[in-house]
Amino acid sequence: MLSRRNVAGLAAAMAVGLAACGSAGGGAATTTGEDIVIGAPMSITGSQSKEGGLAKQGYDMWLQWINGQGGIVVKGTRHKVQLKYEDDQSKPDISAQLTQKLVAEEHAQFLLGPYGSATTASDAVVAEKNGVPMVEGNGAAQAIFNQGYKYVFGVLSPANRYLQGVLDMAASLSPRPTSIAMLSADDNFSLEVAKAVTDYAPSKGFAIVYSDKYPNGSTNLSGLVANAKAKSPDLVLNSGHLQEAIAIHKAAKDLKLDARGFAYSVGPSTPDFVTALGKDADFVFSGSQWTAQVKYRPSFYLSVPDYVAAYKKQFSTSEEPDYHVAESTAACLALQKAIENAGSLKPDKVRDALASLDVTTFFGQTKFDSRGINVYKPMVVEQIQDGKHHTVWPADLADAKPLYPTPAWSSR
Amino acid sequence: MTLLLQQVVLGLLIGGIYVAVAMGFSLVWGILNIVNLAHGALVIVGAYLTWWLFARLGLDPFLSLPLVALALFGLGYLLQRGLVNRVIRAPLFFTLLLTFGVNLMIVNVLLLLFKSDFRSVTPAYSGSGLGIAGIEVPYIRVGALAVALLVAGAVGYLLNRTRTGAAILAVGADRDAARLVGVDLRHVYALTFAIGAACAGVAGALISTIQAITPTAGEPYTLQAFVVVVLGGLGRVSATVVGGLLFGLVETLGQTMVPGLGAGWANAIAFAIMVLVLVVRPQGLLGRLA
Repeated sequence: MLSRRNVAGLAAAMAVGLAACGSAGGGAATTTGEDIVIGAPMSITGSQSKEGGLAKQGYDMWLQWINGQGGIVVKGTRHKVQLKYEDDQSKPDISAQLTQKLVAEEHAQFLLGPYGSATTASDAVVAEKNGVPMVEGNGAAQAIFNQGYKYVFGVLSPANRYLQGVLDMAASLSPRPTSIAMLSADDNFSLEVAKAVTDYAPSKGFAIVYSDKYPNGSTNLSGLVANAKAKSPDLVLNSGHLQEAIAIHKAAKDLKLDARGFAYSVGPSTPDFVTALGKDADFVFSGSQWTAQVKYRPSFYLSVPDYVAAYKKQFSTSEEPDYHVAESTAACLALQKAIENAGSLKPDKVRDALASLDVTTFFGQTKFDSRGINVYKPMVVEQIQDGKHHTVWPADLADAKPLYPTPAWSSR
Repeated sequence: MTLLLQQVVLGLLIGGIYVAVAMGFSLVWGILNIVNLAHGALVIVGAYLTWWLFARLGLDPFLSLPLVALALFGLGYLLQRGLVNRVIRAPLFFTLLLTFGVNLMIVNVLLLLFKSDFRSVTPAYSGSGLGIAGIEVPYIRVGALAVALLVAGAVGYLLNRTRTGAAILAVGADRDAARLVGVDLRHVYALTFAIGAACAGVAGALISTIQAITPTAGEPYTLQAFVVVVLGGLGRVSATVVGGLLFGLVETLGQTMVPGLGAGWANAIAFAIMVLVLVVRPQGLLGRLA
């Protein structure tokens, strides 16, 4: 480890010394240094390859942009960026091995996170052990950040915030909902989301009238939905995954569970939810890290509309980037800004710069608490209206008003 | 009381899906003595085929059932003739290894073709149903149960009332004796596997209307089929029907009706019952002694 830090430092020093041969265009920097190597384990195959593919798009967007700028400027020297991916097959143990390989064999100076809380948790151990700063945008479980790690930073809002916005919004609706049924998967992330709801709901005047958890990945959830229906809840909340969200929503329709609102922590923000459910997807709420409609004023990189346009161009698609893409790009931006602020490529300097980072990008405010997670950015609430995603909360970021109450199944 | 009845209805309806999933698995296991670890993957192939026909050609999932069954029949025949037949007399371990490999291959081909997006077949009538005294009976699930029982009846008829069925049963009972009396072993093997695959395809079609599918969603169905067959017993169609319905009931009631226990215990209860059956009646509830 030490020797590589020295080599990196020496290389930087040499690059500064050789000021005359700089070739990067534009800006104040006139010299070009060695490439910065960043490692990223990623779910390119396996059960989370869909989400992993989106996260990779987010990284690639930044990579193309930063190298188009000539690279990251460190004390007047431009360094192009090399991003090295390893396919972790969506498996935490393999992801940790590959993280070690990226650091030890491929000489990654910094790390970007993999996809998902489970893989991020296992990779964080490796990053911490090697003292390599890791910035991640796809692991929201607070369990990752409660280990006292010093080198791991997450740009996304933590799990306990996922449905908080939905509750805040619900408290403002009329007729005001009062009762909640909560169905939760039993993985760390989902349980954190559910616990936050049961802790927070009473303070907003909601009663939890039904709550149960089911094994992660369950497909037969109609029994639980029937139980929930027996309690006639105003709101049906779920903290789980896309597949379970679809199963619950189908069962709710089958069993005529006419809640005034349905909200799912994960699922509705992906296009799959709408294509799988068609018209039935309308009126569904979801917590989201980011939407293409938010109105943040970034201090660097692209504005939100420019980001959306750049995404469509780079990947030749008509679809808007979803939050997995955005949070991944945001992780890159945090790392870039920290390196620039540190004016150094030394891991501990960059780590300190990350700890004191406070910057607003198209993704919102990026600032870490003492544990390394971004508690300063709000979650927004999305609603599917007529097959389209709209941001409905908080009001100052929204592009539409929430449609409420949800009509009964029989009159849709 | 209404809630209990509702749960019983839901349990029986989901049990229909398990009957369909286990039917082909049971047949292949009973006759060919192969525990087909690729069974869940075949179920998902059927589900994707149904989804594709629905999304691209607007074909109703229940109308496209025969097409899906036929396609899977062909795929099953080729799979057996080309691959599985090579290990038909090898120790159990080899057949497990081979079918596991086939499973991985199918899953990854599906991933290449369809990505890991979640899909579901949602026809216009999905969600409509009959409400009797506060108990909801969704048409689509009733349809699924009916199809499952129909498939069970067809397999039962084929096995017990036709010449082909007699040949299949003969091979299951004693393959060497069957050969001596002139049964074309290779053809019967492939035919049995093909019928099993067709049943898997039908099960997948039914599942696509009730749940969301993704290429990796098949493995739980292999496990469910296994449990159902152990519960009901090998070698009889009626045993699979009873096992499937029972498993659906136990799972749904265990999930929701045991006071003080969360849904997380549903699987534990279901598997505990399976172990109990293995201890008390190793041949399954309705199984024949080998």
